Formats: sequence, structure tokens, C-alpha cells
Amino acid sequence: MATIPIEHSSDSRREFLRLGGENAMHCYQCATCSSVCELAPADNPFPRRQILLAQWGLFDELMGDPGPWLCHQCNDCSVRCPRDVRPGDIMASLRAMTVEKLAFPNFLGSLVGNVQKSWPLLVFGPILFWVVLLGLTTGFGEVETHHGLVPGPAMGQYFYDALVPHSLIYIVNFAAVGFVCLALFMSGTKFWKLMGDKQKRSGSFIGALIGVVIAIAFHTRFSSCERGVPKRRWGHFMVMWGFVGAAVASGFAVVFLYADIPPFSWFFALPFFSDIGYPVPITHWNKWLANISAVLLVVGGIMLFANRLKRGDKLVGQTTAFDRFFLWLVLAVIATGVLTEVFRFVVPVPMAGLVVYVVHLGVVLSLFLTLPYSKFAHIFYRTLAMVHERMTGGK
Amino acid sequence: MDKLGVFLCTGCGIGDGVDVDEVLEAANEKGCTATLTHECLCGPEGIDAIRGCISENSLDGILLAACSERAKAPEFAPLSEEVPAVFRTAIREHCTWSHPADAEGQDAEDTTMLAQDLVRMGLARLSGMKPVEPLQEEISDVVLVVGSGRAGLEAALTASRLGHPVTLVEQGSKLGGLLADQVSIPPEEPPYDAPVPNPVPGLIAEIEADDRIQVLTDTVIAKITGQPGQMEVTFEGPETIEQTIGSIVQATGAKPYPADNLGHLGYGTSADIVTSYDFEKMLASGTIARPSDGKKPERIAFIQCAGSRDPDHLNYCSSECCVNTLRQVAEVDKIDPSIENAVIYRDIRAPGLMEHFFVGIQKSAGMMMTRGDVVGIEANGRLNINLSNSLLGDNVDVEADLVVLAVGMVPSSADGELIRELHDSRHQAEHSESSQVREASAKRAEELKDHEGTEILNLEYRQGPDLPTLKYGFPDSHFICFPYETRRTGIYAAGTVHAPMDCAQSAEDGLGAAMKAVQCIEMAKRGEAVHPRSGDTAYPDFFLQRCTQCKRCTEECPFGTINEDEKGTPQFNPLRCRRCGICMGACPERIISFQDYSVHMVAEMIKSMSIPEDYEEKPRILAIMCENDAVPALEAAAADGATWNPWVRVIPVRCLGSTNIVWIAEALSAGVDGVILIGCKYGDDYQCHYVRGSELANTRLGNVGETLQRLALEPERIKVVELSHDEFDRVPKVLDEFAEELDEMGPNPLKGF
Repeated sequence: MATIPIEHSSDSRREFLRLGGENAMHCYQCATCSSVCELAPADNPFPRRQILLAQWGLFDELMGDPGPWLCHQCNDCSVRCPRDVRPGDIMASLRAMTVEKLAFPNFLGSLVGNVQKSWPLLVFGPILFWVVLLGLTTGFGEVETHHGLVPGPAMGQYFYDALVPHSLIYIVNFAAVGFVCLALFMSGTKFWKLMGDKQKRSGSFIGALIGVVIAIAFHTRFSSCERGVPKRRWGHFMVMWGFVGAAVASGFAVVFLYADIPPFSWFFALPFFSDIGYPVPITHWNKWLANISAVLLVVGGIMLFANRLKRGDKLVGQTTAFDRFFLWLVLAVIATGVLTEVFRFVVPVPMAGLVVYVVHLGVVLSLFLTLPYSKFAHIFYRTLAMVHERMTGGK
Repeated sequence: MDKLGVFLCTGCGIGDGVDVDEVLEAANEKGCTATLTHECLCGPEGIDAIRGCISENSLDGILLAACSERAKAPEFAPLSEEVPAVFRTAIREHCTWSHPADAEGQDAEDTTMLAQDLVRMGLARLSGMKPVEPLQEEISDVVLVVGSGRAGLEAALTASRLGHPVTLVEQGSKLGGLLADQVSIPPEEPPYDAPVPNPVPGLIAEIEADDRIQVLTDTVIAKITGQPGQMEVTFEGPETIEQTIGSIVQATGAKPYPADNLGHLGYGTSADIVTSYDFEKMLASGTIARPSDGKKPERIAFIQCAGSRDPDHLNYCSSECCVNTLRQVAEVDKIDPSIENAVIYRDIRAPGLMEHFFVGIQKSAGMMMTRGDVVGIEANGRLNINLSNSLLGDNVDVEADLVVLAVGMVPSSADGELIRELHDSRHQAEHSESSQVREASAKRAEELKDHEGTEILNLEYRQGPDLPTLKYGFPDSHFICFPYETRRTGIYAAGTVHAPMDCAQSAEDGLGAAMKAVQCIEMAKRGEAVHPRSGDTAYPDFFLQRCTQCKRCTEECPFGTINEDEKGTPQFNPLRCRRCGICMGACPERIISFQDYSVHMVAEMIKSMSIPEDYEEKPRILAIMCENDAVPALEAAAADGATWNPWVRVIPVRCLGSTNIVWIAEALSAGVDGVILIGCKYGDDYQCHYVRGSELANTRLGNVGETLQRLALEPERIKVVELSHDEFDRVPKVLDEFAEELDEMGPNPLKGF
């Protein structure tokens, strides 16, 4: 049998304690948590073992462990734990730690991991970036646009693309997305390999992935948790689909913009895509899609936020800076996005619209750039862990 | 007793189950003075009717043929003030409930015959009884407390608070025992979350201020003679003191298990592997340093069960080490929070509210804990502890700079048996007739010579100078039923000598033992037995003119009641006696008798049974059953609706050990077809109230087999069964099976002679 060195006083252990793991030290390994968990695989149950490994400081073992990601933190375990260990919170800390440790490049992981200190940079940095960029390029003056030469906001007129040329958004956001993809690919392959080293997989990746995507689409895993979840389930469901809807609507918006460019023009021969001009009218179905998504995001976001406010409720669990940052960022994206639209149609105040729009672009950029290092990364890690589970004989 | 009355209750279904007239007729045939039936004998009217009958006929003995003596005891108790002899026979349980005429294998005629026999046997017993004159002796009020640890201090204070003078003797120069220099103790009251100050200095101050407590330090006991209430103690110390005392609390504590035996845990291989007791000294000094180089350890590993729960060392849990380790961790954290603590355990045993302490220490000290069996400890600069059976399943390594072994406790009484063996071996080495035995004994004596001088009480008892002990060296007699009781009446064990326990339990134990010691004195004043026959004033009488000095009684008494003079004549000490009657069962001359219980009385009961000559119809089986366990089990079975063979006649006895072989001979020669003896479980986990009674009965009967064969009787006609109190479902089956076995053997050939 392998001999495992127990690391009691490593930096990782301190890191873990900082990320909300201090309760792990009271665990006496009764395994109530693993027995009440609806999601734990029978042959490799969590979270007892994970808590033990964390107590001992064996974080290398935990980095490649799918367990924390299979957990949906329904907190059944935290409610039943006789020792107030709150295993659900421990699993959350382990997820935060995995995201930080597997980050590419590493320093960005630490930066976002220390969000308690670094948040002003993470939020105001991208906003400042946009202000400077716009100052340098358009100078906030009269600009050449899609619609010809229009006056800038300083001149009392009001076209968002007049304020911020689309080309700039593409350049910045496509660059950010490219970077995010690279970062996620690097972290993801590391994570995938670590999991594979510990447990042999078999079968088709694509097949497993399709199953997982369906499970995620209907949130079936959430529904198998016994309690603590319903509110989070529907809040999360709405936010997820809100993001998906917003992404699809943004995609079509780009397509409509370039309707006259040959690679896209064939679209407009199709029934739903004909008769579109820019700006897209509010009655157009893509606007409907975008607005319904916005409503889902707002309602879901508020539900999740309100749920988190119930401090001391074991079913809610502890809210760390890591959770809070992500939640605030999502809420900020939603709020500024909705306000941007509202200002355009309802309250045409050019300067206010500009400010909100620039802030929106800033927080969206922040959301993009921190995605691989923030709680948002769970989209990626959890999906991989669920695929891994399916390829190792799990549900 | 000559003027006997029979009171037959007809309530609870008795009147319907038997032919009342025939039962009363059997009583009259046995020559009783008066008979009376009542439909509710235990009610006020019934009791008044009995009273009236007693005074009208000047009865001196009454037989209550009603229910079990475990039922309606308070109702019938006042009658013993009006008549010298009361005997109860359980017609309800042994007869009508268990032998209803409508049940399979039962018959109304047989049930009535059974009731008649029960009445005949009761009358036979009563006619042998003599009035009891309780002992009136001069009794000392002094409680002697031996040892001054937490238990001893609490015992001394308790006895003093109860108004008794106390002598507290301590062999060391100061009071306090193992706890004297401990920095703190685990919490004893809510919120149970952190160590609390050591209470021992406060207790010592209280003792010193107490006028009723005489403290003797640097003093040992040179000799104790006599019996409870009248023990003559010789103390040897700065001066020799002689004192008469009433009873003793032995609170001599425990010794740490010798760490030299713990080589498998690395003890002796590195100076940095120390015992919890050594470590306590380090804590008391306020600086924690590695003994090897004086440097501060980065990490301390505490290894639990060092010697405890290990068949090669102490095969029991020492009970206090886990919590004590948690306390030491808390103390380390107080001295230097930068030191890490790792606890390696098998199971953390923090019972009851100590759970809060356990969590509290985990929270505050943040130590690491892991289950594991130590495979080995390797010293390579640091100490590398390899563990198997970890919670992960794999082997794990823990590194530490200092290892603390939480060593177990050995009761100080553990030497007692070895001293006895040493004395015996020396005696054999000199006096044995066989040269082989002499050599072997000399060798054993040599091996045990280190135990010379480890005597604690130095009792001048025929059975040795100290308390007899059980398997692991603890001096209990029957810890479930009689806590604090040892096998020496009037001597009570308290604290860690009694059982492995922590500080708080020791305090409680000292208090409890002191109350027992006071109870013993008070009951001795009234001439009553302390337990198990609490309040019994009868005691055995030795008719020494016929004694053959066979020494069976002096050897077999489980309580060391009987000393011997030089010739081997027994010298009985009634105040040491527990009234079990084992001596009575052992005596081949049948010269030991209680006023209300004797070989003769039970023999008369056997003879009074009617034994039909026609076996085919009516065989007879005698069941001699322990009244503490087997009879209650049988009565519980009856209450539960069980039935059993109607040929069985039950005689309850105080202890199966009081069974005299004569009874068996008497029964078989009277034509009884078989005798079954049902007693308690024996062996290491015995359940006998008198420790060895059922075992002794079994040994005695083992020797009877040959005799039976000579009489042309099958040895299988006698059976001994072990049964525990809760096996009420089994006991009717045991009786029925024996009846079937006898049926296959056929009738007793002696029947009708």
C-alpha cells in the first residue's frame, strides 16, 4: 500500500482554511454526510473522504477529484452533520481551491482567488479600460458609423454604436473570449488528466457529453437533491437559460448587423430572418428573446441573491468572498444591461446612457476575463466532472 | 417451629386452578395447626385474617401459599414482626399460572398434586426453622480510606460529612495521588469545552481543615485483623499506630502501564518518545522541549491506546487517556499555539458530554486527528510514524518531533493475585511432597519475587493479604449488581483501582464507596448483611465438635469469611459473611447451618415430596434453582404464559453453591427420577451474585457421577445448567427437555425401595 505523507501545515491547508474550510477540522468521520447524499456515487461516495483529505492537507489528491463538482450543494449533509462541519461548505471551498490551483495562467487564479482584496481592480480595471479606449479612439466626438456620420453624445445625440463602435466591441470581446477559451482549455486538460489518472474512463466522450448537456438543460441533478435546493434550482435554472438566451440574441444581433455581407446574406432568405434593418425594432422576435432572457436573468438573479441573504441557515451554506464576487458581477451585468436598454428607449438621457453602457461593457469584460478563475468556471469543471462520472460507470 | 399455619390465597386464579380442599388436606396431614383461605390474601382484609389466625392459634411459623416472594413483598412484610418464621411458596407462578388444566400436557389432578407438594415442602422448611437472634456487637464508626488520590479524598470527605470519623492513610509524603501535580483536568460541568483547574489542592485543604479526618502520610498498613465493624489495623509510619476501624475504602489508584513494554511503539529507541505522564511534567514546567536536544518541537504526535486494548498488554480500555490527551493538546496550545498537535487514535472515546470537550479542543487547537494502528516509528532526525488501517484505507505516515504515548492504567490491586501466588509457591516449594512440584514452585516463586512487599492491606485473612481480583486485576465482585463491592465484606474499592476511570468518575466513585462503607457500619450495628441479602440477620452456625478440619469451607468461601487456626479448624467471622451458604454446601459433615436455611431443612423438603410409585403415570423431577436468577426467570416465564412439565418440583436456593451433595443422594434414594440444578453463568464473565457459587456446584457434582454409577444409576439423571436472568424463554424448555431425557432413561430403579 502506498504511504501517504500527511501534510498538516502546508500553505495549501492555510489556503483551504481561508476559503472557508475551517469546519473540516471538527469532522470525526462518521460518514453521515456520505450516507445522506443523493448524488454521491455508491462506489466512491463523497464528501467524507474529501473532508478527511482536506483535514490532512492532501490537496493534490483533491484537485483531480470529481466529487466536489458532482456535489450541487443542496446542504443535506450540512443539516444532518452531528458535528457542524458543514460538508456542503467544505465542498464549495474545495471547488474554489481547485479553480484557483488549476488556473492558467496561475497568477490570475491567485488574483481572482484573493477577490476580497483584488475586487476593485477586477471591476474597475475593465471599466477604466473602456473609458481610456474610447477616449483614445472616438474621443467621444462625432463619429463615422454604420448610419453615416452621427454626432457623439457630447453633442446630445444618441446612438450606442455611435458612442462605442461595434468594431471595438468585437476586437475587445473576441480577444477576451479567445483568451478565456485558451485558459479553460489549459485548465480543463489538466483537470481531465488528473481525474483520469485516478479513475479509468471508458466509452465515448461525445456520448457522455450529450447526456450531461441534457441533464444540465433540465437541471435533473438539482432535482434529485432532497432539500435546500428548490429555490436555488429555479433561480439557477432561470439565470442559466437567461444567459443562454442573451448569448443567442447577441449572436443574432451581430448577424443582423452584417446582413448585407455575403457570408451572412443567405440567412435572410429564410422566413424568420427577412425584413430586418438596423436598429432592430423592439417588436422583433430577437428583441423578444433578448428581453425574455433579461427577465429570466433578473428574476433568477434576485432569487439567488435573496437566498444567499439568509445567513445562518444551514441549507444555504456559508457565502464566501468567492461566491459574493461572482453573484455581484452577474447581478451587475444584468442590471447594467437592462438599464442600457431602458435608457435607450424610455429615458433618453445621452450622458447617463453612455455611462451605464460603458459600465456594462466593463463588467461584461470583467465577467469574461474572470470566467476561468471565478465561480463561473463551474460551468466548465462541473460539466467535465459529470462527463467523467458517466465515463466511469456513474449515472 | 411447631405451631404452623398455612394461608392459601385463592385469588389470581389459584382457587380455580387447584382443588383447594385437597391442598388444605395435604397441609393438615403434615400436621399444621391452622389453615385459612382467602380470595385476596395480600389485601388489608387478607392480612387482617392472617393476623387474627396467628394470634388465635399462637402460631410461630406461617406459610404463605400465594404468589412469588418478588410480588407483594411490602404487603406481607409487616407479618414478620408478628411471627418468627415466614415462608412463601409461589403457588401462583410455579403451579396455577404455569400448569393450567386446559393446556397441552397438563391435568387438573397433577396441578393440585403440585400445589400439595409445594405446601408440604414449605411446611417441612418451616418446621426446621429456628428464631433468629441478630448479632449485637460493638461496632467502630471509623472509616479507613487507603490512598489519597481524587477518589480517596472524596471518600474521606463524604464519610466525614456523614458524621463518621475518618482515617486517611497515604504511603507517600503528600496527598493527591497521580493527580497531585497535574496542571488541569478535563471539564466536569457545562459547557464542557475547556480544561478546568485541578481540584485536588482544594480538596486537600478541605481535608486538612476537617477535624474528623485524621491524615497519616508516609504510612503503610502493616496488618489488618478482625471483621467489618471490628477491624484492628496496625499502621507503620513515622510512628506505629493501632486503631479499630469499621470499614475500609481502598482508593489506592492505578499505576501507569510500564512503557518499557512498549517497544513496538518505539519507546526506548528515541529520547523524544515519552509517556503521557512524562509529558505532563513538561506541561507543568511550562516549557515544551524535545528531551534529545532541548529544541521546541514543531509537531507533537499523541499516540492513543499505548498498551491499552491490546491483548499482549492491557486487554481493556483505560478509559481516561483519550480525553486526557485532548486536555494535553489544549495545554500545549496554551503554552505555544505554533506547535502542531497530531492525535493518532483507534477510536476517540470521549463519552457523554465529553463530546463537547472533544469538539471544543478541535475548534480551538485545530489539531489533526487520524485513526491508525502504529506499524512502527522510525527516527531519522524527525520521528516518522507509519500507520496502517487509516481512514483512507492506505498506510499513512505522520512526521513529528515529539511522540507522546498515552499509556494505560494498571490497577494497584493487580499485584494482589500475584502476591497470593508468590506466597503459595513459596509454601509449596517448602512443603510439597513431590519434588517436581517443589522445583516448579520454587521457580515460580523466583519469577514473582518482585511482588514481595507490594501488599497493600495486609489482611490477616486465610485467603491472602489483599483483595481478590478479576481477569484484569480489578477487585470487583459483581460490578453490575453491586458496584464498589469487593470480595471482602466491608472493603470497598473506589477510583482507578476499582475500574479504569477519569478524574470526575473517580470523585463520584469515592463518594459512592464512602456511602457503602458507612452503610456497612450502620448495618453491622444491627447485625444485618450488607448485600446481596441486604438486611438478613441470620448467619451460619458451625457445630465445630464434628468438624474434621477438611478446610473446604475456608477454601471455598468466596469472601474470605472463614479463617483457620493452626490445626485447620475454621474460625468464622459472621460480620464478613454474605449468607450465601456456599460453606454449607461444601461441608461434608453438614455442620454449617443458618437459623432459617440448612442442609437438614432442604433435605426435609425433598423428603416431604410425595413420590408416586407408579412411574408410568407420575415421575418426579427435582429442580434446585438459584433464587437470584433462575427462579425469577422461571417466574417471568410463568407470567408470560409459559407452561412446563408438571412433574417438576422446584426448590429455590440462595446460591447453587449452597447445594450439598446429600440433597442429591436424598432425592435419588427417595425415588426422584432426576435432579436438575440451574444456576448462573460462571467463568470470567460470571453472573453469580456470590462469584463462584455456580462454578463450585458444578465442580462438586462432577465428582458425584462415579458414585452414581456405583449405585447403578445413570450419571445423566443429574444435570447442571447455566442460565442468566433474562433467559425466561429458555428455562421452561430446559425443564421439558430434561423431562424427556429422563423419560428415555426410564424410572429411577431405586423408586419404591
